[in-house]
Amino acid sequence: MTERAPPPGAGPLDGVRVVEISETAAGAYCGRLLAGFGATVTMVEPPSGTPLRRQGPFREDRPDTEGGATHLHLNRRKGSVRVEVASAAGRRLLRGMLSESDVLIVDLDQRHWEELGLDPLAIRSQHPDLQVCTITPYGADGPKSGWLASELTLYAAGGYLRIGGEPDREPVKAWGEQGHLQAGLHAAVGILSAIHANRGGQLVDTAVFEAVAFLLGGGYQHAWFSDREPVRNGARLVGFGPGHLYPSTIRPCADGWVHAHCNNRYPDAMAVLFDEPRLAEPDLLTSLMGRADEVDELMAPMLIETPRREVVRRAQEMRIPFTEVLAPSEVMADIDHHHESRGFWQALQHPRGGEYLAPGPAVRFGRSAWSDDDPPALGASNATLGSRAERVRWRRAGVA
Amino acid sequence: MLPEPQLLPYPRSNCRPLDGIRVLDLTTAVAGPTATVLLGALGAEVIRIETPWARPVHPASALPHRGGGPDEPWNREPRQNELANSKRSMALNLTAQAGREVFLDLVERSDVVLENYSPRVMGNFGLEWDELSKRNPQLVYVSMPAFGKSGPWRDRISYGPGIDAMSGMSWLTGYADGSPLKPGNFYCDQNAGLSAALSTVAALIARCRIGGQTVELAMLEGELQLIGDAMVGQQLSGREPTRRGNEHSSAAPHGVYPTQPVLDDADSWIAIACRDDAEWDGLLEVWEDSAVCVDRRFRTGLRRWHNRAELDELLGAWAFEFDPFELTDRLQEAGVPASPVMGARTLLRDEQVWARQSVGGLPHPQLGLSPAPQAAFRLSETPSPPRNAAPLFAADTVPVMREILGYSDERVAELIDSGAASDRLRPR
Repeated sequence: MTERAPPPGAGPLDGVRVVEISETAAGAYCGRLLAGFGATVTMVEPPSGTPLRRQGPFREDRPDTEGGATHLHLNRRKGSVRVEVASAAGRRLLRGMLSESDVLIVDLDQRHWEELGLDPLAIRSQHPDLQVCTITPYGADGPKSGWLASELTLYAAGGYLRIGGEPDREPVKAWGEQGHLQAGLHAAVGILSAIHANRGGQLVDTAVFEAVAFLLGGGYQHAWFSDREPVRNGARLVGFGPGHLYPSTIRPCADGWVHAHCNNRYPDAMAVLFDEPRLAEPDLLTSLMGRADEVDELMAPMLIETPRREVVRRAQEMRIPFTEVLAPSEVMADIDHHHESRGFWQALQHPRGGEYLAPGPAVRFGRSAWSDDDPPALGASNATLGSRAERVRWRRAGVA
Repeated sequence: MLPEPQLLPYPRSNCRPLDGIRVLDLTTAVAGPTATVLLGALGAEVIRIETPWARPVHPASALPHRGGGPDEPWNREPRQNELANSKRSMALNLTAQAGREVFLDLVERSDVVLENYSPRVMGNFGLEWDELSKRNPQLVYVSMPAFGKSGPWRDRISYGPGIDAMSGMSWLTGYADGSPLKPGNFYCDQNAGLSAALSTVAALIARCRIGGQTVELAMLEGELQLIGDAMVGQQLSGREPTRRGNEHSSAAPHGVYPTQPVLDDADSWIAIACRDDAEWDGLLEVWEDSAVCVDRRFRTGLRRWHNRAELDELLGAWAFEFDPFELTDRLQEAGVPASPVMGARTLLRDEQVWARQSVGGLPHPQLGLSPAPQAAFRLSETPSPPRNAAPLFAADTVPVMREILGYSDERVAELIDSGAASDRLRPR
């Protein structure tokens, strides 16, 4: 990074150059966050493109490496070079790119490093100022570092799967690839910390299972001090001890579901909201999951005949934090114009994806910008590599 | 047989990425404290500011008094112990003018203020950005509102799980045949906490060029990044995405199967994911069931996916004969992604967790060794594991005023006498 006045609209990472080699949502989200902060992120993709390009849905259900939903979301504002890294010439090309970069993100598991001839330790010695971030299922060392894994098995390995779902059924994970996305977020924190430390290049060794295990939070205290495991609790909050309030749960109402939540400071307000004096009985709401079924029954008559919006309007007026359970299309429909007033959804016009709205800023800085743009076509930045003669040679050799 | 649980004490690290950075921590609940617990491990001096009568504690919910010292249940509150590690503790009454003045003096000597109140609260204290930046133009001021500091939902109140409902995350999460569920206990909060820590470091990196600034992390907008694939996909296909439990969109078997009990717990399971023919062949090698091997329903990936209900039933009946740890070892050897469904109890007995110190111990004067997970990255030159257990309530009130603010003994005594600051828990 150079010391200079930032151009208007620059992000906090303006001037930081990142090379991303990813095949999961972990590396892609890490790169997306850095790109959002204004870094110049270039994906190095194999000739067939990153596997994320092949994840649907697609427009009219026609598979298309330029138009998959994950690509259109996670690869925005990145460049793409199409390089056969497994070849000697491809590795030379990558080395050239790295010598002009500040950060390398690699989320392949370790056996793929070897297939591609990538060795993070060798890369570090060749580029001592480069932040080298590896994201692997179990981390770079330890007895399980060579284990095979997927999003589901890592959700299990990190202990978070166990607390999701109904108590009398199998544990169930959250939507999508939350384990890998969290790993990407951790990796980004590690990379920026290494940049801030200003002690030359560092290895940022990130483990997906640990990003999942981090989510267990207070569960470790429960396990260490009482050798007990928290038990999944359906839509209800998983309680770790007797101090937990109720409700914090999802309940059906006239036209869908609401998230019902109560501060135990306000049982009287709950009694008024539900027109049910028994809700104000001492100990009912504060005696935890023990009387949760009873609380659900007392809330049911009002909920079942009232639509979500009305339940939430009445509750919020009384400062009781109920919210509507919204489907994705309802979130996008934004009938209260909340997202619109904040300019959240970004309208993009993509040659293959067509017109679509994508999530806008994860964060808003007072004086720095959040950056957004189209995702790149595969190999769109190849023209920026090397001299014209070199490009001709690389193309003939099938390298780039 | 699993070994006994073990907590290795975290090593000291004298060179951390945020050394020299001071953070004033005005956070409550889960999201904000998660952001500052990370900043503390990264080396920032995090001063947690609490009201003098904070921490009401249900005596039954306090952790056991194992470490000696006085019996103060409020210093063994689980959430506090989880999320205040690597911080200092100061008690200030910000509604008192004198307490507010102490805070503003601290702002002059700090780099970051981080708060997660509802949008109106800092205004009520008279501690908004305009006021704080007058005292310190280099300040990074981070807020974490639920829905944002503007817009029609600005003043809606919600905790993280209620935001999961508003983002679409709950709608998307659950069994294929069930209703919406939470994505975990405080998933939205923890995501917002990490995102806020990330944004704080980004603003600190930019500070040498542009000075201090505000950072607004709306928890809802942080979470929408995590389901952008569903939001974009819904527009491309014209269909609402559906809940699909543990299923993969095109591969099977891909699920969680019951096993023999571990640690006498009947709630024991194994996760198995076969994404291609090679992984399926590996599974067959271990399964050794000649009927399944030749079953036409399972011959190709596409057929396995279409017949996944039948396949899951057979696989579940087979897996139930095994210990999940032994079965995982055999499947891994055969090239199949698999893992026991771990929990906090089994993670504390896990060799990988020990080897990487994914969860380590911090000595606490009233609890003995106390567990804390570290973030998922290891920095080779500036290791950043958690560095101290949660501080005792108000333990740093006097040292902060003496050493950082240089107040005289008389002034400190006066502030404590008036209740503007406190060195112990006070009745409300």
